[in-house]
Amino acid sequence: MSGADYLIKRTVFAIVTVFVALTLNFILFRALPGNAVTGLRCGHCTKQFRESIVKQYGLDKPKLQQYFVYLDRLAHGDLGTSTFDNRPVWDDIRGPLVNTLPMIVAGTVISIVLGVMTGVIAAWRRGTLADTSNTWSALAFYAMPTQWIGILVVFYIAIPLGLPASGIESNTLGILSTPSTWEVFSDRVSHLFLPALVLGIGLYGEYALIVRSSMLETLGEDYVLTARAKGMRNWSIVWKHALRNAMLPLVTLIALSLGSIVAGAIVVEDVFSYPGIGLATIDALNRRDYPVLQGIFLILTLSVIIANFIADLVYFKLDPRVTE
Amino acid sequence: MRARRLIATTMLAAVVAIAAGCGGGGASPAGGGSGGSVVKGGILRVGTTNYIDSLNPFVAIESQSYNAFVMEYPQLVQYGPGPKIEGDWATSWTKSSDDLTWTFHLKPGGKWSDGKPLTAEDAAWTGNTIVKYQAGPTAAVAAALTHVKSMDAPNATTLVIHYDKPVANVLPQLEQFFILPEHVWKPFEGTNGKGLKTFRPEQHLPTVAGGAYFISQYQEKGTTVFKPNPGFYGPKSNADAVAMTYYTNSTSMIADLDSGNIDFADQVPFNAISSLKNDSRFDVQSVPTSEVTNITINTNPLKSKNRELLDPKLREALEYATDRDSIVKVIFAGYAKPWANMLSVESGSFWLNPAIKPLPYDPDKANQILDSLGYKKGSNGIREVPATTGKYAQPAHPMEYGVIVPDSLDFNGDRQFQIIADDWAKVGIKLHEIAGGDSGQAYGMETAAQYTKFDFATWDWAEYIDPDAQLSYMTRGQWYSWNDTGYNVPWFNQAYLTQATLTDPKQRQALVWKMEARVAHDRPYIQLVNEYLVTADDKTWTGFYPDLNGYCKCYYTSPHKTG
Repeated sequence: MSGADYLIKRTVFAIVTVFVALTLNFILFRALPGNAVTGLRCGHCTKQFRESIVKQYGLDKPKLQQYFVYLDRLAHGDLGTSTFDNRPVWDDIRGPLVNTLPMIVAGTVISIVLGVMTGVIAAWRRGTLADTSNTWSALAFYAMPTQWIGILVVFYIAIPLGLPASGIESNTLGILSTPSTWEVFSDRVSHLFLPALVLGIGLYGEYALIVRSSMLETLGEDYVLTARAKGMRNWSIVWKHALRNAMLPLVTLIALSLGSIVAGAIVVEDVFSYPGIGLATIDALNRRDYPVLQGIFLILTLSVIIANFIADLVYFKLDPRVTE
Repeated sequence: MRARRLIATTMLAAVVAIAAGCGGGGASPAGGGSGGSVVKGGILRVGTTNYIDSLNPFVAIESQSYNAFVMEYPQLVQYGPGPKIEGDWATSWTKSSDDLTWTFHLKPGGKWSDGKPLTAEDAAWTGNTIVKYQAGPTAAVAAALTHVKSMDAPNATTLVIHYDKPVANVLPQLEQFFILPEHVWKPFEGTNGKGLKTFRPEQHLPTVAGGAYFISQYQEKGTTVFKPNPGFYGPKSNADAVAMTYYTNSTSMIADLDSGNIDFADQVPFNAISSLKNDSRFDVQSVPTSEVTNITINTNPLKSKNRELLDPKLREALEYATDRDSIVKVIFAGYAKPWANMLSVESGSFWLNPAIKPLPYDPDKANQILDSLGYKKGSNGIREVPATTGKYAQPAHPMEYGVIVPDSLDFNGDRQFQIIADDWAKVGIKLHEIAGGDSGQAYGMETAAQYTKFDFATWDWAEYIDPDAQLSYMTRGQWYSWNDTGYNVPWFNQAYLTQATLTDPKQRQALVWKMEARVAHDRPYIQLVNEYLVTADDKTWTGFYPDLNGYCKCYYTSPHKTG
């Protein structure tokens, strides 16, 4: 299979997956109990009033017709209208998404750095205390529920250091005076730190174990032995020869784990009252605001598909053997 | 669904001594729980685990929203310390000899926060609009104006309310009547009032408020900022602003209190009380509340499965089998007391029927009753229900039931379920937990298929001081709205309508006591405990009224920095 064939195959696969995701996204939320009226908590409302609300959101139309309307709107970049606040769905989820992204990026960076460092050390010092302690720590953090890590961080880091344990900004910021850009930035970073740290700790274990395993494999290769025989320094052997080749499975794992990163973010946001996409999802669910839920799930699904597609391309670049 | 109950999580019958009055009627705003000289200024930072779900009174359900309405909107009357009704915007009121016309005299000079004058015309428009659309968009708040025919505003400071029947509890009802700015809301009325339901004031900040505060910043799951309304007719706020921050969990809230990031936590989790009490930086206050927890039992006579649960004698056995003391100790760390009445301690001795007491924990007695009813224990220790015949025939089956446990409880519902399951296992009844989700989901599970699908739930009610609302929840008229047991007894339904029109308090009290006794006997609920509310504040602030959350503007206007 040529490189072009590989590219086309992965692209077609991604497009089909997107279409399936779109369809499932439509079906799932219409299979759930409740509708736009449920979200309005309209226990006493008259039948006429309920019907007018249902009609307003086009929920009185046959499901197939609703499906085509949904596809048509999506094709025009329209995610629909929230049944709770009547705003475009994108307006409702843009803010939480923007809040969550830096946290996910920071958390992922922390997890990769921690995972690679501890994985490399464990592999390089195989069989020693450093290996055992790193491996068991990684296993322990991998197994721990993220929310529990979050609570431990609140107790043992937030309280002693006086770091904010909640929200995205200080509760008094800008109330009586206009804060400077630097004040806003540093305030945001201080609120971002602990959630990102928890996300990073929750994720790094898996990465560390994969890196260790992969490093052990590459450290046993002939070219590493050759490098040693040539008298190269340990750091050069690890960095230039072993680690680069050991990174291949990590690239795939990061892309594949994007879904679980988002899931972890939901839990972390709940612990730290962080107003991101996780809390927005919970709110939309509680309000039966299915257009918003649909929009969030669509964006998250597309993110995972696109990340996997990019991982396929990166993998192709890193390891041309995949086309063989 | 039941969060509306939580509005009253704080009231108490025998309130701790509170020095001064608040709000309406010209009472002094200062004082609060701790006294001290009043130092004005600063931002009061409040932490809460209950959020403002909407700033629209026709939509909101969460207790924190109602607290916001109390702060934002003029009310004719409000609850002050005691708790007792006192004037808010109204200075005085009179009623006609036939009890059908009530005239309220209002404080002059009030202004909405956008500078427009606040007049009785706003009150009349709000009242008439609620009545006009009570079967639709305004239904959520229409109960406050039951039997109101119309409202007139003969001049800017006089409001006349016309009733079509004498109403026993006019003032407690009107305490829930929030007066909206006509010039803001009228354009949304349209031809059918639908816009009143879909209007979102939180999207048009700052809000236009005639009460003590307007809202300048709203974050549903973040910080909402209340700033003093310069045109407020009543006692002004001591703080420059109130920043109310929502926490998804109480652990983070207590961490922020500990770190000095908030000044007041409006509900301390039961497992954190002892550590805060041992910390000299904080004042911890605990007061009995209106919140009564219960085991909800499906008593819909039309249910098709497990119909043995419709037998009050069986439910009596279940009460004997339930160890309330254990629940008080383990779940509430002692901050609750065993309870059996459908009304809470907050309703006061006038409304509480003294004959209603919790049954003692007595598994032997429970076993004895169940044996006498013919439910024999099988080889696995679980009792068997014999087959029945007739219209509602059911096959023989083990006494094994599901219990819906919502995740929106303010206590550890899962742990409470374990205690109850262990207790009931001792009398041969096996329980399994059903995750109830949020309040809306749990209520949906209870009311599914016309109250025929569920057997048990564990939940709670936070009640009003006046018994009317709580009594209404037991009627057929509240099916799918507030009734969560399927209870439907014609005598009770009629008695509810009658009590609401008995303007002689003694007569009404007698009927209410009978109704309480009937519910206690029928046991659509096994009431468990009456919770305490525990709050904590940093000692750099004082003047708190923890018991008046959602009832009095003084809840935010009174706190001030210590001198």
